[in-house]
Amino acid sequence: MTANKQEILAAFSEGLKKFDLDSSAVSARIEDDGILTLEGSTKTWQTAVDIGHMAAKLPGVHNVVSDLTAPGAVPLKRKDSAPYRAMGVVDKADVVIIGGGVTGCAIARQLTQYRVNILLLEKEEDLCEGSSKANNGMVHSGYDSKPASLKARLNVRGNAQYTKWSQQLGFKFNRTGSFVCGFGEEDRAAIEGLYENGVTNGVPGIEIISGNRAREMEPGLSDSVQFALWTPSAGYAEPYEVTLALAENAVDNGARFRLGCEVVDILTKDGRVQGVVTTQGVIPCDCVINAAGLYADEIAEMAGDRFYSIHPRRGALVIFDKENKGKIRTFSGVAPNNYTKGGGPEETPEGTLLWGPSALEVPDKEDRDVDREDMEFILEKGMRLTKGIDPRSVITYFSGNRAATYSEDFVIQNSRKIKGFIHVAGIQSPGFASAPAIAELVESLYLGQNPDTPINTAFNPIRKPEPAFRDCTQEERDRLIAENPAYGRVVCRCETVTEAEILRAVHGKIPARTMDAVKRRTRAGMGRCQSGFCGSRVLELLAREWKIDPSEVTLKGKGSEILVRPSRNTGRNAE
Amino acid sequence: MTTKQYVCIVCPMSCSIELTDDSGVLTVKGNTCKRGEEYAKNEYTDPKRMITTTVGLRGSRLRCLPVISRKAVPKKLLRDCMKQLYATVVDAPVRQGDVIVANILGTGVDIIAARSITL
Amino acid sequence: MNTLSYDIAVIGGGPAGLAAAVKARELGMDRILLVERDYELGGILQQCIHDGFGLLRFKKQLSGCQYAQKFIDLVAEGGIDVLCDTMVLELTDDRRIYAVSAQEGLLEIRAQAVILAMGCRERTRSQVSIMGSRPAGVLTAGSVQRYINMEGYLPGKKAVILGSGDIGLIMARRMTLEGIEVEGVYEVMSSLGGLRRNKVQCLDDYGISLHLSTTVTKIHGNKRVEAVTVALVGSDGKPVRETERVIPCDLLVLSVGLIPENELSRKAGVQLHPVTRGPVVDDTMMTSIPGVFAAGNVVAVFDLVDYVSRSGEIAAQGAVDFIRRQSARGNMVDTVAGSNVGFVLPQRVNADCGGKEINLYLRVRKPMKDVRAEIVCNGKILKSTRYGVANPPEMIALRFVPDGPLDGPLTVDVR
Repeated sequence: MTANKQEILAAFSEGLKKFDLDSSAVSARIEDDGILTLEGSTKTWQTAVDIGHMAAKLPGVHNVVSDLTAPGAVPLKRKDSAPYRAMGVVDKADVVIIGGGVTGCAIARQLTQYRVNILLLEKEEDLCEGSSKANNGMVHSGYDSKPASLKARLNVRGNAQYTKWSQQLGFKFNRTGSFVCGFGEEDRAAIEGLYENGVTNGVPGIEIISGNRAREMEPGLSDSVQFALWTPSAGYAEPYEVTLALAENAVDNGARFRLGCEVVDILTKDGRVQGVVTTQGVIPCDCVINAAGLYADEIAEMAGDRFYSIHPRRGALVIFDKENKGKIRTFSGVAPNNYTKGGGPEETPEGTLLWGPSALEVPDKEDRDVDREDMEFILEKGMRLTKGIDPRSVITYFSGNRAATYSEDFVIQNSRKIKGFIHVAGIQSPGFASAPAIAELVESLYLGQNPDTPINTAFNPIRKPEPAFRDCTQEERDRLIAENPAYGRVVCRCETVTEAEILRAVHGKIPARTMDAVKRRTRAGMGRCQSGFCGSRVLELLAREWKIDPSEVTLKGKGSEILVRPSRNTGRNAE
Repeated sequence: MTTKQYVCIVCPMSCSIELTDDSGVLTVKGNTCKRGEEYAKNEYTDPKRMITTTVGLRGSRLRCLPVISRKAVPKKLLRDCMKQLYATVVDAPVRQGDVIVANILGTGVDIIAARSITL
Repeated sequence: MNTLSYDIAVIGGGPAGLAAAVKARELGMDRILLVERDYELGGILQQCIHDGFGLLRFKKQLSGCQYAQKFIDLVAEGGIDVLCDTMVLELTDDRRIYAVSAQEGLLEIRAQAVILAMGCRERTRSQVSIMGSRPAGVLTAGSVQRYINMEGYLPGKKAVILGSGDIGLIMARRMTLEGIEVEGVYEVMSSLGGLRRNKVQCLDDYGISLHLSTTVTKIHGNKRVEAVTVALVGSDGKPVRETERVIPCDLLVLSVGLIPENELSRKAGVQLHPVTRGPVVDDTMMTSIPGVFAAGNVVAVFDLVDYVSRSGEIAAQGAVDFIRRQSARGNMVDTVAGSNVGFVLPQRVNADCGGKEINLYLRVRKPMKDVRAEIVCNGKILKSTRYGVANPPEMIALRFVPDGPLDGPLTVDVR
C-alpha cells in the first residue's frame, strides 16, 4: 500500500470536486486492503459511474464497491432463502460453478481434467444467456489492455490457445486479424499508443501499416482510412457455439449442469464454504467458483466477501443479411475514446456481417434495450470504416451487458475471507478471448487449495461436432437423409436447418428447452425472416418432444411463453 | 329525409356511396355497379356480413377447419353465430362445401367447410 | 441421389405455382412437377380463412382456402406430379434443381423450363426500426394468422397492430372475434395501407381505432411484451419524441409489408429489380435466365390473388412456348415507370407483339383522384384508362393489344 487511508480519502474528496454535487451527497470509507466503498446518491447514473471510475484510479485503491444510487438504479437484490433451505439437500458436489457463460463453462471443462465432482448452476433456462450471448465473438489480440493488468496477460495467452481450442472442441474459428483505423493525423497518437501497449503486452506480429496496404488485405475497408494498427492474431468465433462446445465436452468428461437453478445463498461455516442454497434446494460442496457475470457482486455479497461492484455497460450489436457475405472479413475499429474498445464491422465464422457493439452505462443489469442512439453510433461508425454495404440490409439487432468492475480489470482470486470461494468476476471484454487462460488460472487457484486432487485419466479433450446440414455437400446430405429421414425436413429455410438438427439440440448433452436455446444450437430463426416461417414449426417440435402443451413453450424461460392459450375451438383442447 | 354515407365492401374498389331515404324511398348514388346499390340499401335496412372462422377439428394434423357462410348473415347475429361455431367440433375427413352447421340460428344460412381435409 | 426429369418444374405450391401447373397441363404439357416445402399445397392461402378472394376470376367472394381448393382439385384431376414436404436448396443457371425431402432424400430435378413461385416473406421489426427489448409477443401478422387459424392458439390477450395493410386489418377483426383485445391499429403513413372496405368491415364494425401518421417506436418487457411506445411521425417521417405515449399490451402484431423471396433466384444468377426486389421479367414472365420463369409474389407483391394466378398462367404459357420453341425471342423493349408510377411489370415486352394481349401491372407512388393511366410509346398513346381514384395499395392492371410492332420503350404515366 503506497498511500495511507487518510490520503486516499483526501484524494477522493479532491476528485469529487469536478462533479456537480451537494457536499454530503456522496461518502466514502476505505478498508485496510484498499477497498473503497461509496455511498450516497447522484443525479444521473453516468455521474455515479464516473465517480466509481475516478475512485478506482486513485493510488492505493485496490477496487471499488459502489452503493451509489441514481434514478433508475436497481439496488442489490437478495431473495429470501428460507423457503429454498426448507427444500433440503437435493444434490452434492465437490465444486459448484455459478454461471453458465463462456467463463463458467471453460472452468467446468478445465476442472474435468481432475477427478472431482463438478456441478455448474445456471439461473436461466439455458447456458449462454447473459454477457456471453451478446458480444461480437471477437478473440482480441491484446493490444489495448493496460500493460501488467490481468486482462493484458490473460488476453494474449488466451488468444494463443484458441486454435487448439477450436481443433479440440470442433467450433468454427477464423483468425482474420484486426485493424484499428486512423483517418487522419488526429488519430496517430492514439494508434501509436495502442501499438506500444501491444508490444509491451507481447501481441505477436503487431504493426502499423498504410491505408493502402490495409485495403490490399481487406478490400472492403473505406478509402478514407489513412493508416491502421494491424494485429494478425485477432480472430472470431461464435460465442454461443464456443460456450456450448465447452459445456458438452465438460459433460462428456463428467461435469453436470443444472439449468434454471438460481443461487440464493452461500453457506459458510468457520470461514469455509459449506454449500449453496438454490431455487432447486440445498447443494453441499467444498468449493464455490463465482463466475456469475453481471451478478458476481451479488454472489460475492452472499458469501460475505463483496469487494467490487459490477456496473453493467450495455452494448448493442447489429446483424446484416447474409447477402453481404464476403464484403468485409477482417474486424476494423477506430481509435478508442471510452472504457470499451467498442466494436466495428466484422464477419462471423458463419458468414454473417456483424457491426457493434456500442457502449452505454446503464443502471439496470436487465436492461437489454437497443435505442436509436446505439443504432446511429454503430451504423455511422460502420459506414465510415467500410464501403459497399447497404445499411437497409440489417436483419436484426440486440444488446447485452458487459460485467465491468470499476477497476476495469478481471478479478480472479481466492477469497481472502472465505476458504473455498473463488472469485472470477469483472469478466468483460476481452473475456471471451481470455477464456482459455482464465480457465487455466482458476485451475491453478483450485489446485493451490486442493493440491492432492487426483488426475482424471479418462479425460478426453476432443468433442466431435455433429454435422450441420447447411455446411454439407449434396452427397453428404443425401447420406444423412438416408440414415435419418428427419434430415430431409428443412425447418428453417433461411439458414437451412433440418428437423434432425433440432431434435439433436432438444435431446443433446445440454438439452434445448426454449426457442432461443434451439436457435443457439442450430441457427433456426437466426436468418433473414427472423423465425417468421420456422417459429411455429420449432414451437411444435419443442412441445412434441418435451410432451408439453404448445402454450407452455417459451422463448427464453418462464414468463416468455409464445402462445397464451388454446383458442376456444380446437378439437383437442376444448375448454 | 335522411342521408347516409357508406363505403361499399363488396369488391376491392371500395366505392363511396351516398344513400338518401325520402319517406321510405331509397336512392343511392356513387356506386359503380348494381351490387353497390344493393349493399347500401341492405346496410341501411338490415346490414349483413359474411362469417369466416374456424371450428375444431379431430383426426387431422390441423387443429382447425376453416368455415364460411354461404351467404351474409344479419350483422346483429354475428357474435352469436361465432359463439355457436366456437363450440363446434368436427371429424376429418371433410370435403370442401360440406355443411358444418345448417341454417345457423334460423337465419337460413348454412355454414360450410372452406377446404377439404384428407389427412 | 434420385434424378428426375420434367418438362416444367414449378417451385412453390401457392396460388402462382398452382395456376402455372394447371395452365401448363391445359396447354398439353405431360410432365409437370410441382414442388412445395410445406406438407400440403395452397401456400399462405390456407391460413387466409377470410373472404374476398377470386372476385375477378370466379365472380364470387371466396375465402383463401376455398380459392386454393379449386386449384388443388384441378392439380389432382390433371394428374400433375406433386412433391410436398420438399425443400429446394439450389437452382442452377442451366435449370437443374436440387431439393431434399424425408421420403426422397436428395433430388436432382432437370427441367426444360422452371417456374419460380416462392412467394414472399414478411418484413420484421428491424426493417421498421422499432427499438427496445426483444421479448416474446412480437409477431408478424402472418405468424399470428397461422397460430390462430391453423394451430388453434392465441398468441396474446391485448394486441397493438402496427401497419394498416390488408393483413393488419384482417387480423384486427380476426383477433377481436377470437377474444383478443385489439387496442388499435397504427399506421406510419398518413393514409390507410389497405383497402377501404377492409377498414369498414374489420375496424369500424368492431369499433377498433385507426391511428394514422403514428408508429411504434419502442418495445418494453424482457420476457414477454409489457407495453409499446407509440409516437406521431413528423413530416420528415421521423417519430416526434414529445408525442410518445406508452400503451400496455402483451402482443405487438407487425403488418409492415412483404418482401419477395428471391434467395434461390439470386443464387442462380437471376437479375433482380431494385424496386420490386423480384426478378426482372418480360411479357412471358421469363427472367434474365432463358427457360427460367417467375410468377406471383416472388416477382412483386400483388394485392389480388387473381393477378397472382394470372401471372402464373402467363408464365406457364411462356414456359410451354419456350419448350416448343414457338416464341423466337425477338427484339425487346423496356417498360418505363413514368409520372407517379412506382414500378411497372413486366419490365420488358417483346417488340413484335402486334395482335397479342399484353398485361401490365403497376403501382402509383401517391394517391390521386380522377386520373388517367396512359401507355405511351414513341409519343403515341396506345391505351388510356380512367380511374376515379388511384391508391398506392391498389395495383392497377392494364390490358391492351398493340396493333403492330412496338418501336420504342413503353412508358406508363398516371396523371
